[in-house]
Amino acid sequence: MKNYRALPFMLIAAAALAGCSTLPASDSPLAQARNAYNSAQGDPQVTTLAAAELKQARDSLDRANNASTKGESGAVVDHLAYVTKQQVAVARETAAQKAAELAVANASAERDRVRLDARTREADSARRSAEFAQRQSEASQRGAEASQRQSEESQRSAEASQRQSVMERQAANDAQLSAQAARRQTLDAESRSQQLEAQLKEMEAKKTDRGMVITLGDVLFDTNQSQLKSGGMRNVQKLADFFKQYPQRNVMIEGFTDSVGSNSRNQELSDQRANSVRVALLGMGIGPDRITARGFGESYPVAGNDTAAGRQLNRRVEIIVSDNSGNIAPR
Amino acid sequence: MNVLSRHQWYLAAAIGCAAVVIGGCASVAPPTEQMAVSKSAIANAVSAGGSEYAPVEMRTAQEKMDRAQRAMAKEDYENARSLAEEAQADARLAEKKAESAKAQKAAIVLQDDIRVLREEINRNGK
Repeated sequence: MKNYRALPFMLIAAAALAGCSTLPASDSPLAQARNAYNSAQGDPQVTTLAAAELKQARDSLDRANNASTKGESGAVVDHLAYVTKQQVAVARETAAQKAAELAVANASAERDRVRLDARTREADSARRSAEFAQRQSEASQRGAEASQRQSEESQRSAEASQRQSVMERQAANDAQLSAQAARRQTLDAESRSQQLEAQLKEMEAKKTDRGMVITLGDVLFDTNQSQLKSGGMRNVQKLADFFKQYPQRNVMIEGFTDSVGSNSRNQELSDQRANSVRVALLGMGIGPDRITARGFGESYPVAGNDTAAGRQLNRRVEIIVSDNSGNIAPR
Repeated sequence: MNVLSRHQWYLAAAIGCAAVVIGGCASVAPPTEQMAVSKSAIANAVSAGGSEYAPVEMRTAQEKMDRAQRAMAKEDYENARSLAEEAQADARLAEKKAESAKAQKAAIVLQDDIRVLREEINRNGK
């Protein structure tokens, strides 16, 4: 549109100027300008980063082409071609500048990242060396303490060896006495353990890996109740007498049920039955610290749950007698 | 809009025709504005570092500007405008070359910084 509007003026101007010019148009600089423009046009860096500059060059090239087709003087065409060529170069330089500026922006971001990395690592290594130093100082402190202990020990051992020689003389005397006592004690212990076994046998205790186990059967409880029946109470009384006689022995009470009914009900019932035995023993004067009670629900069956007899065997309370030092192996 | 601008255009064309007819071949209006524009373009190029980064373009621009001024003095306005226009194009190229070179230098310096920093980190890390 613009070109069409310019047409009348340009035609007149061209005619007027052509009248003055003497030389025919030479294509050479114009050809160079066209080549330069076309190659810049094909460079995506230039078209994206220097579009405005390239458009200016395009306008100049159009003017040069027009001047050439209108047969204007070679000097005019050459001049316009020259300006075009320089403007194409400006577009190229602009694109290169913008690309470099983008690279600078990216590199700045990267440098910041690298610096951050460096700081993080410095902080890490500082922390590590602090930890190392602390460990070292702790180690040297431990070393100092150890050497102090050693010197104390050697002093003590010197004293001890002195005492030992005194004691050894006494020991020789004592040994004779204790040999006699030991003989007496062995006899005592033998008679006592015989008594114990007899008592436990009376309560139908069985020897197991965990110690002597007395089983209170289901018949000693009311059905689905945790209350001990009078028969059960008699058995518990025997147990209480036994534990009073052997105060170094503790007792573990474990309740069990069959698999009939819900798990939670069975757990509850087994807890309650074990606990009622515990309560009975407490009532008979056994210290609470010696008695532990726990329900296991339908776990650890001693018989199949598929027969009535098996289920009856599974409904039980087991009383485990500890060893002489009060220990019971856990289930 | 179209009607108005067409009218305006006809007016301008008529004035242009009259100028060409009256002025004839010999006389063109002195390109004072172009001369000022080119001078300022050269000044910009100099302050951008054109003499350092684009000495060839810078020298050409200045030479053409000198010639344009001489043409102005001889009232050879046609030649003066053409020389001034070329001087402007040369000066702009010099300015852009300087800016582009500086930006590329900055990019290289920065990349070098990063490389040095990385090396330092790797040394410290060991």
